[in-house]
Amino acid sequence: MSLLLDGITSFISNTGLSKIFTPSADAALVFAGVDFGTIIMLVVACFLIYLAIGKQFEPLLLLPISFGMLLANLPLSNLMHNVLFVGSGEEHFVMDFGEILHNGGLLDLLYLGVKLGIYPSLIFLGIGAMTDFSPLIANPKSLLLGAAAQLGVFVAFFGALFLGFSIYEAMAIGIIGGADGPTAILVTKTLAPKLLPAIAIAAYSYMALIPIIQPPIMKALTTKKERLVKMEQLRPVSRIERLVFPIVVTVVVALIVPDAVPLVGCLMLGNLIKESGVADRLSKTAQNELMNIVTIFLGVTVGATASADTFLQPETLFIVVLGLIAFSISTAGGLMLGKLMYVLTKGKVNPLIGAAGVSAVPMAARVAQTVGQKEDPSNFLLMHAMGPNVAGVIGSAVAAGVFLALAKVL
Amino acid sequence: MTNIFVQGGVVAVIGICTVFVVLAILWGTLELMRVFFTKAEKKAKEPTPVAAPAATPVPAAPVPVASEEEELIAVLTAAVAACLGQPASRFNIKNYRRVDGGAPVWNRTARRDNLIG
Repeated sequence: MSLLLDGITSFISNTGLSKIFTPSADAALVFAGVDFGTIIMLVVACFLIYLAIGKQFEPLLLLPISFGMLLANLPLSNLMHNVLFVGSGEEHFVMDFGEILHNGGLLDLLYLGVKLGIYPSLIFLGIGAMTDFSPLIANPKSLLLGAAAQLGVFVAFFGALFLGFSIYEAMAIGIIGGADGPTAILVTKTLAPKLLPAIAIAAYSYMALIPIIQPPIMKALTTKKERLVKMEQLRPVSRIERLVFPIVVTVVVALIVPDAVPLVGCLMLGNLIKESGVADRLSKTAQNELMNIVTIFLGVTVGATASADTFLQPETLFIVVLGLIAFSISTAGGLMLGKLMYVLTKGKVNPLIGAAGVSAVPMAARVAQTVGQKEDPSNFLLMHAMGPNVAGVIGSAVAAGVFLALAKVL
Repeated sequence: MTNIFVQGGVVAVIGICTVFVVLAILWGTLELMRVFFTKAEKKAKEPTPVAAPAATPVPAAPVPVASEEEELIAVLTAAVAACLGQPASRFNIKNYRRVDGGAPVWNRTARRDNLIG
């Protein structure tokens, strides 16, 4: 009889519920013997699942992210051990791959793809295979709009420094302004792994909110006359130009910012596969199967890094606010250069396309189209806005490369 | 404390300048590419003047009602462009007529099915 009781007691003490009601000493937010940290994280995960399904906020990513968060925070599930990747507060922590392979759970093993920078680059391969760079090749000055829309990255970087973040953390927070999830993840996993869940969630949530964040800024910074500008039709782009473009971009970027090559190189490889027209199967795989598989792995594991002790901190709130500032200033940066181009070209450039310089493809370009069409239903800005939009992808990858390079020498 | 802001300033200045320089270089390269390839294309095209194909084997050519005329021309232009693999701006459809070769409809269907099969 006592054997049975012992068995039941030890089984109960190994359940998740007992873990919540008898938390260990290092659990976050313990109050009256109850681990509220875990409970709050489960509620946050469920809220994010609701946003993904109910409100359709970037569901392809937010759904795996939020479910990963749920899985990792279930007590005693042992799927994810952040301590294997970020240590427990050591000055110079070095990852022990042997230990990860021996003791890691399912999500620890999948997370290696993030930690080694594999998933973000593979996602870029898929984005490259999906993207048509013709509007950019036809109107190359939109590259400058893509550069101007990285302004928010550097402003948010400074803001983060003022709020007391370290220089590496500030770089990771700033890159939210690039409006590019994979880029933000690549920089953060290298420079500030503890902030990864907050930054990834902020970046993807704001991308989903672009149609709400951008239009008021666009209207405030442009006049009605500017918004009414109809742009000349883009010239047709020859096949040879579309083939040479990815090669040229890779070489130029690699020569100046080698740290951006994993991203830009994969983006351009994907694009060359598509434009070549001779590797249709590879192109389709990169666009669909590969992209979808990697998205699931990336989302689940990034979400799984959100544990109560790293996520339920005031820093998370700062990151959310700084991310919004970064997005808004990036939009304003693109618009201001758009206005300058409007003046210099004597009214041939509609400044609204500048706002599409924040990368989030193709959402930002669609917003430019919608805002332009509200003023004049016969104005079609979409293709013109796609130029700065894809330039923004290259711009934010270059900004990320600069951060990664400077972080090595600081 | 000030040290971190000086470092931050340096990072921001180098960062934004690099982004602009890299993208400006790409801009210049793309402009060069455009000049180079447009010239090469013109040279390649000069010996063979582009003829406006008067009639192409497009089966659908109903008697046009005035309002449908433009649409039909657009469809024909797109079809010719797709067949020739050239942009539609290279030629104008000036005239079109139905070519059915006088074959009965069953013969044509059989021929088409063989081609597809």
